[in-house]
Amino acid sequence: MRHTFLIPALAFGLATATAGCKIVENPDPNSATEVEANQTDEVRMAAYARDVWDAQVLPTVTNNLVSISDLRAAQAQDPEAAGQAHGLRPEGEANPWNFAVSGSGIVVEAKLKSRAAKLQIDTDADGVADLTIQLGPVIRGTALRDAMPFLTFTDFRDQIEFAKLAGGLNAMAHERLEIPDPETDVTGQTVSFEGVFSYKNATTKPEVVPTMLTFEGP
Amino acid sequence: MKTNRRIFMSGLASVVALASTSMSFAAGKGLIAILTPSHDNPFFKAEAVGAEARAIELGYETIVLVHDDDPNKQSELFDTAIARGAHAIILDNAGADATVAAVQRAKDAGIPSFLIDREIKEAGIAVSQIVSNNYQGAQLGAEEFVMIMEEAGNYVELLGREADTNAGIRSSGYHDIIDQYPDLVMVAQQSANWSQTEAFEKMESILQANPDIKGVICGNDTMAMGAWAALEAAGRNDVIVVGFDGSNDVRDSILAGGIKATVLQPAYRQAQIAVEQADQFITTGSTGLPEKQLMDCVLINADNAADLETFALSA
Repeated sequence: MRHTFLIPALAFGLATATAGCKIVENPDPNSATEVEANQTDEVRMAAYARDVWDAQVLPTVTNNLVSISDLRAAQAQDPEAAGQAHGLRPEGEANPWNFAVSGSGIVVEAKLKSRAAKLQIDTDADGVADLTIQLGPVIRGTALRDAMPFLTFTDFRDQIEFAKLAGGLNAMAHERLEIPDPETDVTGQTVSFEGVFSYKNATTKPEVVPTMLTFEGP
Repeated sequence: MKTNRRIFMSGLASVVALASTSMSFAAGKGLIAILTPSHDNPFFKAEAVGAEARAIELGYETIVLVHDDDPNKQSELFDTAIARGAHAIILDNAGADATVAAVQRAKDAGIPSFLIDREIKEAGIAVSQIVSNNYQGAQLGAEEFVMIMEEAGNYVELLGREADTNAGIRSSGYHDIIDQYPDLVMVAQQSANWSQTEAFEKMESILQANPDIKGVICGNDTMAMGAWAALEAAGRNDVIVVGFDGSNDVRDSILAGGIKATVLQPAYRQAQIAVEQADQFITTGSTGLPEKQLMDCVLINADNAADLETFALSA
């Protein structure tokens, strides 16, 4: 990644500075031009997130899906074993597990007018919300990024670029959702979802970033 | 080229010298050099103490050095570590760009570097770069700030040193949250270079120009302490101050009802992990982990401040 973005920039710098010399870096045909190298981290990472979304992000979610009820049962027995069996996380001490989950439930509460729009869902039919679905456009956290085994911090220039990547992925999730008109009352409707969340502890509700969301009516 | 060879030879010479002197230490596994910014900031002291304690536990000798955030001084200290034949360097560095060459020089001399707290802008030179998840931590601090501010009012941001990636990433984490609230208005944004005295002076002058401020969000705890002192001196104990680091000073201020919140970076543990990875690398040739690693931060407010001691939270 770093090489993808940096080397073309370097190569361009060298090429212009030493025109006539024979230092030629092999250009990567799929990679950045000078224009791209001058983009802000945010713009560049948004473009990268878009590039990998369909080809890599969605298949990773699909291939690691576990139903929210199965996951809860496994976590009730042993959270660490549940993480080993179903979770995704970067290597290193104390990184939280991320899970790709599927499920359905009834909307108990909907906050659609906020910039950080959310649905509170009851997935175990006890009438109480037990899961949050983040609709955005402001989506919190880095679950999508951290659940992707092909996205490693070492490959990025620094935390700033890496943070913008997480933002770019969250923005893609929001862009692909069909969110009901903010004036509609979706309370009581059934929704099916697939998405990713970071596991904090047994008492914190999962805050899922959805990669798929469908309303199935009341 | 000539310089490189000279450094390499002097490094080699001292490795030989050290090998013979360390014969007297039966269990000695070699020397670990620990380089941090000035211990005036307790954060860096905690790093040095944590790294040194772990290194001694694991059977190493240590040399603790301070670069005062001066890349030239840091460069000289690298030469010292190389000349002393260090087996590993634990480093909280003096600048993301300026440090690359020094770490490369150590690598060329066969000495692996393990970075903590701050990144450098190159991968593949240091063995490990273990940094706090500053973006995640800043978002925690910002959410708390927004809540205490009740989502409205004028505020000031004190930034860290520009050459330090952590200054930018924390500011970015703050604004990704705060900027979602249109009634929160930033009336001043200035760098106080992580410094308590500078923060005190900046806060005094900002307060004169903007008496109507409601909050101050700071890139670290020493600046939060400086800002709070200036606000207190001006009789403005009503202003909401939030810091970043999790120092004992800010803990005490939170418990006394002064500063409202901070974000703990697990600095002590982070330094210990770096030493553990250095030991693993020295004994096996690999840490088994990716070079760059993030450690999550924890919000500290009146609810849990009492459990905080020397950059670690007791369970």
